[in-house]
Amino acid sequence: MTEGRKGYAKPADLPDDVRDHLGSLLIVLADNKRLLGMRYSDWLLGAPALEAGIACSAMAQDEWGHGRILYAMLRDFGYEANQLEHEREASEYRAMELLDAPAGEWPDLLALNLLLDTALSVQFEAMAESRFEPVHYKVSKLLDEERFHFEHGRGWVTRLGGTDAGREALRRSFRPVWEACLRWFGPDGDEAGRALYEAGITDRDAAGLRARWLERVGPVVELARLELAELDGGGSGVWLSRVEPSWDGWDPDVRRAARGGPDAEMLARVRGDKNRPLLMD
Amino acid sequence: MGKLQLYEVFARRQRADRFEHIGCVEAPSSDLGRVYAWQTYDEAKWFEMIVAPRDAFHCVNRAEQPFTLHPSEEALT
Repeated sequence: MTEGRKGYAKPADLPDDVRDHLGSLLIVLADNKRLLGMRYSDWLLGAPALEAGIACSAMAQDEWGHGRILYAMLRDFGYEANQLEHEREASEYRAMELLDAPAGEWPDLLALNLLLDTALSVQFEAMAESRFEPVHYKVSKLLDEERFHFEHGRGWVTRLGGTDAGREALRRSFRPVWEACLRWFGPDGDEAGRALYEAGITDRDAAGLRARWLERVGPVVELARLELAELDGGGSGVWLSRVEPSWDGWDPDVRRAARGGPDAEMLARVRGDKNRPLLMD
Repeated sequence: MGKLQLYEVFARRQRADRFEHIGCVEAPSSDLGRVYAWQTYDEAKWFEMIVAPRDAFHCVNRAEQPFTLHPSEEALT
């Protein structure tokens, strides 16, 4: 935890505005984890290799596990975990707009795998030394599992980026995901990001998180020649985006630029509608 | 794109254990071989897992390729 500063053992100990921002962030993360897990699961069968399908299965299970931990944690913030997991309408989900529809092609899934999944990990990594103890204690194991998700994405992008056809397919799939991920951290000076950083809940604000994400994914997309990132020409070692995201329609509360939510089929799956009579708790 | 290659997977549960050969995966690079191995053979909480390309192994006492389960497999490889 942040050296020399008191930790917060439970949400009630947090200042009101910080508690609200953190509760909101945890819902955003939980929803993204849950829906990303669903998108990985769409590729259990039909992935380009048996091993890749098994990897999707493992990553789906990891994401669902992370989502479940977060929904349970939200009980202490005054939310009802069962309601969050099983009762909400599509418009109430706070996952990235990228997850509303299936990843139709393998490169689309790789974009979610490398870019979106890493964005979530960067947000968690910023809480590895958090003063909010319940998060601090969960993050280490989560990041251990996520390391293999990143390596899966990097391995495949490196492989496909080695051919003209593969690179073109990656470019088409990565561009919209790249923009959405850049935006997802919020604009520089984002109020929630600053409040959480100043309270020691995270170790970076929105701009700092975006820079850390670029540091992770920049070298991979550059190696694959996707023309999305470049090293600062001044020799600072800082990775820069070649693309500026549009902020039209950006809603900081749900961290999306477009209204909506999971499509009907996904909503039924994510809420467990089919098995609703079997829900015991 | 990288050529697909078999990677043999070995793991041990604790530092004091010997490595067990637990299976193999097919991958186009050692990076993906490592990922596939970890995600495929996740039945135990391994202390350590390692992979190596099958063709890095050399049979000492037999004429057939290492890891051959049945002589007829030779025709398949």
